Amino acid sequence: MVVLGSSTVIAIVIFIVAFPILMTPVIMFSCRASEQLRNFLALAVSAITFLAILPLYPFVRGGGVIQYTLFEVLPNLEVSLRLDLLSFGLAALAALIWLLCTIYSIDYMAKEHACSRYYPVLIFTLGSCLGIFFAGDLFSLFIFFELMSLIAYILVIHEETEEALKAGYKYLVMTIIGGLALFFGMIIVFELGGTVSLGVGTIIEESSLLALLAFICFLIGFGMKAGMFPLHVWLPDAHPVAPSPASALLSGVMLKTGAYGLLRVIFHVFSPDLLQSSGWDTILGVLAVITILLGSAVALTQTDIKRRLAYSSIGQLGYVLLGLSILNNNAITGAIFHIFSHAFMKSILFLAAGAIIWNTGKRQIEDLKGIGRQMPVTMGCFSIAALAMIGIPPLNGFLSKWTLALGALDANAVIYVLVLLISSLLNALYYLPIIIPAFFDLPGDMNHDEHDEHHEIKFEIQEATPRMLSVMIVLALFTFVFGLTPNNIVYALSRLTAAFLLLGGGF
Amino acid sequence: MFAAAPDFVIEAGSHHYSSIPLWITLVPMLAGIGIYLLKDLWETARKVCTLVTSFAALVGVILLFPFALTGTVNYDLIDFMQMGLFFEVDLIGWIFAFLITTVWFLATLFSFAYMDLEHNRRRYYSFFTFTLGATLGVVLAGDFFTLFLFFELMTLSSFVLVIHEQDVESMRAGILYLYLGIFGGLSLLFAILMLFGATGSVEIVPALELLGGQRTAIYVFFLIGFGIKAGLVPLHIWLPQAHPVAPSPASALLSGILIKSGAYGILRVTLILFSSPDQAGAADISYLFIIGNALMWIGIVTMLAGAVMALLQSNMKRILAYSSVSQIGYIATALGVATFLGIEGGMGFAGAVYHVINHAFFKAGLFMMVGTVYMYTHELEIFRLGGMLKKMPLVAITFLVAAFGIAGIPGFNGYPSKTLIHDSLLIAYRDYGLFSLDLAEKIFVLTSALTICYFIKLFRRVFLGPVPEKLDVSYHLPLSVKAVLSSFALVIIGIGLFPNLILERVLVPAAEMLNYEGYAMDHLYHFHFFEWHPLEAMLIVIVLAAVIYIPGAYRRWFDWKPPWWLSVYALLYRPVTHRLMEVTCRAGVFVDSSVDTAYNRSGSAAKTWCTYVGSLDSKLDDLYEKSGKTARKLADRSTDMDSKLDQFYEKSGDMARKLADRSTDMDSALNEAYRKTGEAAKKLAEQTSDADRKLDNVYNKAGQKARSQMEKRLSEKKDRSEGFDPVKWTTKNLSFDTLLLFLVLGIVLFVIFYYGRTN
Repeated sequence: MVVLGSSTVIAIVIFIVAFPILMTPVIMFSCRASEQLRNFLALAVSAITFLAILPLYPFVRGGGVIQYTLFEVLPNLEVSLRLDLLSFGLAALAALIWLLCTIYSIDYMAKEHACSRYYPVLIFTLGSCLGIFFAGDLFSLFIFFELMSLIAYILVIHEETEEALKAGYKYLVMTIIGGLALFFGMIIVFELGGTVSLGVGTIIEESSLLALLAFICFLIGFGMKAGMFPLHVWLPDAHPVAPSPASALLSGVMLKTGAYGLLRVIFHVFSPDLLQSSGWDTILGVLAVITILLGSAVALTQTDIKRRLAYSSIGQLGYVLLGLSILNNNAITGAIFHIFSHAFMKSILFLAAGAIIWNTGKRQIEDLKGIGRQMPVTMGCFSIAALAMIGIPPLNGFLSKWTLALGALDANAVIYVLVLLISSLLNALYYLPIIIPAFFDLPGDMNHDEHDEHHEIKFEIQEATPRMLSVMIVLALFTFVFGLTPNNIVYALSRLTAAFLLLGGGF
Repeated sequence: MFAAAPDFVIEAGSHHYSSIPLWITLVPMLAGIGIYLLKDLWETARKVCTLVTSFAALVGVILLFPFALTGTVNYDLIDFMQMGLFFEVDLIGWIFAFLITTVWFLATLFSFAYMDLEHNRRRYYSFFTFTLGATLGVVLAGDFFTLFLFFELMTLSSFVLVIHEQDVESMRAGILYLYLGIFGGLSLLFAILMLFGATGSVEIVPALELLGGQRTAIYVFFLIGFGIKAGLVPLHIWLPQAHPVAPSPASALLSGILIKSGAYGILRVTLILFSSPDQAGAADISYLFIIGNALMWIGIVTMLAGAVMALLQSNMKRILAYSSVSQIGYIATALGVATFLGIEGGMGFAGAVYHVINHAFFKAGLFMMVGTVYMYTHELEIFRLGGMLKKMPLVAITFLVAAFGIAGIPGFNGYPSKTLIHDSLLIAYRDYGLFSLDLAEKIFVLTSALTICYFIKLFRRVFLGPVPEKLDVSYHLPLSVKAVLSSFALVIIGIGLFPNLILERVLVPAAEMLNYEGYAMDHLYHFHFFEWHPLEAMLIVIVLAAVIYIPGAYRRWFDWKPPWWLSVYALLYRPVTHRLMEVTCRAGVFVDSSVDTAYNRSGSAAKTWCTYVGSLDSKLDDLYEKSGKTARKLADRSTDMDSKLDQFYEKSGDMARKLADRSTDMDSALNEAYRKTGEAAKKLAEQTSDADRKLDNVYNKAGQKARSQMEKRLSEKKDRSEGFDPVKWTTKNLSFDTLLLFLVLGIVLFVIFYYGRTN
C-alpha cells in the first residue's frame, strides 16, 4: 500500500469534512428535480466520503499523526485538524455506518414524509460528525459538536408528533446545557494552559480546583452526549422517536462522539497519570457503574422495542465509560473496541426493529411473537446482534467484554468484572424475551389449541426489501467476523490506538 | 491381568500435534449449519448427512486413542478471539469424547425412526448435529477459555432441542433451561476471569498455590457454572422439566451426555486445577479436605433427593430425569471423596469416571426405550400404560437390562462403578474415621435401594399388568430401533461381565496420569469385582430395596404427590428470582424516573422562576408606563401652564409696551418741560452769576476759615469710625426704590429680549 504524503493527507481530511457539508445544499435543491436524484446524491456523497477515508489507513497504521493549523481566530486560538489512529478509526466507523444507514433509508424513508428535509440533514450531520473526529483542538471540536447536536434535532423530531417534539425539546435543552458546560470547560483550559490544541500533549499538568472544574465540565458536556447517568434522560426519549435509520445513527455513532470527546480530554488535555493520582477517574468509574446497571435494569421494564434498545444503549455506553475510568491498556482497548462493537450491534438492532415496524407496524414487544417466522432474516440478524450484546462467544460483544474484564482484573477491580457480568445477565433477561417468542411462539392472534403438534404451520414470509436486508446482513457478518479473531482489523486498530494513547498520543 | 499387556506402555508427557480435535468439533458444527440450509424436501440427504457426520466424529475420536493413551494430542489456533483456541486431548477427555460420539451415533440412528413422526425435522437435525460439535469441544478443550466457548454454544444449541415441541410446557422448561444456562455460563466466565487474574493463564493445570485468597470464590463460581449443567441440587430444577419435554433421542442425549459436560468440568476443576495429589502441601490438604467434603455432601444430597423425587413421579421421562439427578449425585460424591483423599483418591476418581461411562449408556438407553413406548402409544403417564412386555418384548427386555445396570445388579454395568464409589467411601471412612463419612456411606446404600425401588415401580407399571384397551394393537418396531436398543443392552451386559477391561485399559492409566498412588491404586490394578465383599454390599442394597418397596407399594407411599410449595423452585428460586427482579427493576426505574423528575422539576422550577421574573418585569414595565403617563400628564399640565404663562407674559409684555410708549410720551413732554425750564434757568443763572461771583469771594474767605475747622473735625471723625464695611455702606445707601426700579427694568428688559427672540 502506498503511504501518502502529509500534504495529500491534509487535503483528503479537509475534503472528507467539507464535502458532505458542501453537498448538503446540492442535495436540498436536487429534491426539486427528482426524488431519485436526491437519493442517489445522498448515497453517492456518503459512499464517496467513506471511500475517501480508506486511503488514510496506511498513513495512520504506520503511526502517522497530522496536526495542522488552518487559521488562527485569536492568538493561540486556532481552527486546526488532527488525524491519528483514534480519529481515523472513529471516522471510518462513522462513515461506514452512515453509508449503510443511507442505503437502508432509501427504502425505509420511501414510506415517510418530509424526505427532502431528511436527506440533506442526514448528510450534513455526517459532515459535522466527521468534523468532530478530525478536529485538532477543543475549539473546532466544540463547534462541530454543537453543529452536529443541533442539526440532529431535526432528525429526532422528524415524525413531528407531539411525542417527538417533546423528546426533541428535551434533547435540545440537554444539548445546550452540555454545550455550555463544554464551552466553560474550554475556557478554563485556555485560561490554565494558554491553548486548547490537542497537539501539544498534556495541557493541564497539575491538579487544582479549576482543573477539576474543567474536568467536570467536560464530563457533563461529553457525558451528556454519551448518555452517562445522570445526564441520560434525553436519550430514551429521543432515540426511539426518530426514524429507525436515524435512531441507528444516533445510538450507533453519535453517542460515540461523547466517548470520543472524553478520550481526547483524558489523554490530551489531562493525562491518565493526573486523573489517577488525583482520583478523578473514580468519579467516572462510579458514574459508569451506575450507568451500566441503570440502563440494563430499566431496559427490562420497557415494553416498546425501540425504547428497550435505547436503554440498552445507555448500559452499553457505560461499558465504554468504565473502560475509560480504568485507564490501562486492556481496558482502553476494550473501551475502543466496544465503541465499534456497539456501533455494529446497536445499528443492526435498530435497523431490524425498524424493518419490523416498517413492515408490520408492531412496536410492542408482546406483539412480536412469531415475527421470526414471518421475517426470518431480519430476526436472524436481530438475534445475532442480541446474542453479541449478551456476550455469547464468538461474537464481538464477547470479545469487548472479555477485554474490558481483563483490564478490570489488571487494575485489581473484581467488582467491575462482576458488574459487567451482572449486566450481561440483565442483557440476556431483556433480549431473550424478544428473540425466543419471535422464533418459537405463535403470534397472539393464532390460537394455541388449533395448532396440531405434529403439523408445521406454514408462515407467509413477508420480509423487508433486499436492500434493507443486505445492510443488516453485512452488519451481522461484522459482528461475527470482528469477534472471531483478534487479528481482525477493528480489534488490531483498537489495540494500536490504546497503546498509542497510553504512550502519550504520539508526542 | 490386562494391565501387563506390553503394547500399552505409558510414556507420560509425549505431545502429539494434530488438527483432528479441531475437525472433530468443527465438522459437526458446520454440518449442522449445512443441514439447516438443505431444503425441506431432501429428507434423505439430511439423514445421510447427520449420520455421516456423527460417524465421522466417532471415527475421529477413535483415531485419537493411541495418542491419548500415551500422552496428549494438542492443537492450537492462536488467531482466535483473544486467547486463542487450544485443544488438548488427554485420556480423561478422550473417554468423554468417545462416550459422546458413541451415544450420539446410536441416538442418531434412533432419531430416524422417532423423528419421522415429528414436525420441524430440519431444525431438529441441524441443531442435533451442531450440538454434537459443541459438546465435543467442551471435552477436547485444552484450556478453560476454549471450554467456556463450547460450553456456551452447547447451551444455546441444545436449547432448541429442548423446546422442539413448542407447546406451553416445553417453552417454559426451555426458557428456564436457557436462563439458568446463561447464568451458569456467566458464573463460569467470572470464575475463569478470576483464575486468569490470579494466575495469568487459563490452562487446566494444578494452580492451587497461585490462587491465593480468591480460591474459594473461584471454586464456588466454577461449581455453580458446571453444577447447573450437571444438575446438582439445588441447581437441578431445570433438569426434570427440560429433559422430559424434549424429543426422546434428544432427552437421551441431554440426560446421558450433556449433563456429563458439567461433571467433566467439575472433575477438571476439582481434581486438576485445585488438587495435585503429589504436590499439595499440608495447608492445601486441609483446604482440599474442606472442598472435597463440601462437594461430597452436595453429591450425597443430590443423589438422595433425586432418588426420592424419582420415586414420587408418575411420568416415565420425569422418573428418568430425576434418576439422572440422583446419578450425578453419585459422580459428584465420588469426585468429592477423590478430592479429600488426596493421593489415595484413585478409587474415587476411577469410580466417578466409570460411573460417567455407565450412566451414559444406561440412561441414554432407558430414554430411548421409554421413547419407543411413547412413539407408539403417545403416553408418558405410567398409570395409563401397562402390559408392554407382551406388546414390545424387545423393549421390555432391553429396559430390564438397563434397569439392572442402573440398579447395580452384579453382571450389569452399574455394579462395578457403584462398587468403586462405595469402596472409596469405605476407604475414606477407614482413613478419617469420621461419623459424617459413615453417614454418607449409609445414605449411599439407601439411595441405591431407592433406585431399585423406582425402577421396579416403573417397570411394573409400564411393562407388566393388563394392557389398556386403547393401546391394545400390534406394534412393529423398525430395524434401526431394534438394533439401537439391543446394542445398548449388549454394551451394558458387556461392561457388566468384564468390568476390569475398561478399568485397567483406560481408567487406571487415566488415574496414573493424575499421579494417584497408594493403597487405592494398588487395589485398582486387580480389582476383584466378583468377590464376596463387594457382592455382599450389593446384596444388602437389594434386601433394603425389598424392605422399602414391598410395604411402600402396598400402602401406596409412592403415589404421594409432594405439594408444589415444597419444591426447590417454590422455596428458593421463585422468591429469590422474583425478589431480585423486582428490586432490580424497581431500583432502576426509581433512579431513572427520579432523575427524570429531578430534571423536570428543576425545569419547571426554573420556569416558575422565570415566570415570576417575567411578572416582575411586566410590573416594572407597568410602573414605568404609569410613571410615564403621570409624567406625561405632568408634562401636559406644565405645557398648559407654560402656555398660560406664555399668554401671561404676552399680555404683560403688551402692557409693558404700552407702559413704555406712555412713558416715552411722558419723557418727551418732560424733555420739553426741562428744555423750557432750562432756558429760564439759564437766564436766571446769568443773572445770578454776578451775584455769585460776589458771594464767592465772601464764601472763599469764610471757606478758608471753615476748611481749617473741617479738617480738624474730619481727623477727629476718622479716629472714631474704625471697622468700616463698604457692603453695609452700599446696602444702607441703596434705597428700596432704586432696587425696585432696577428689578422692573430688568424684568422689562428680559421680557423684551425674550419676546423679541420668540417672535
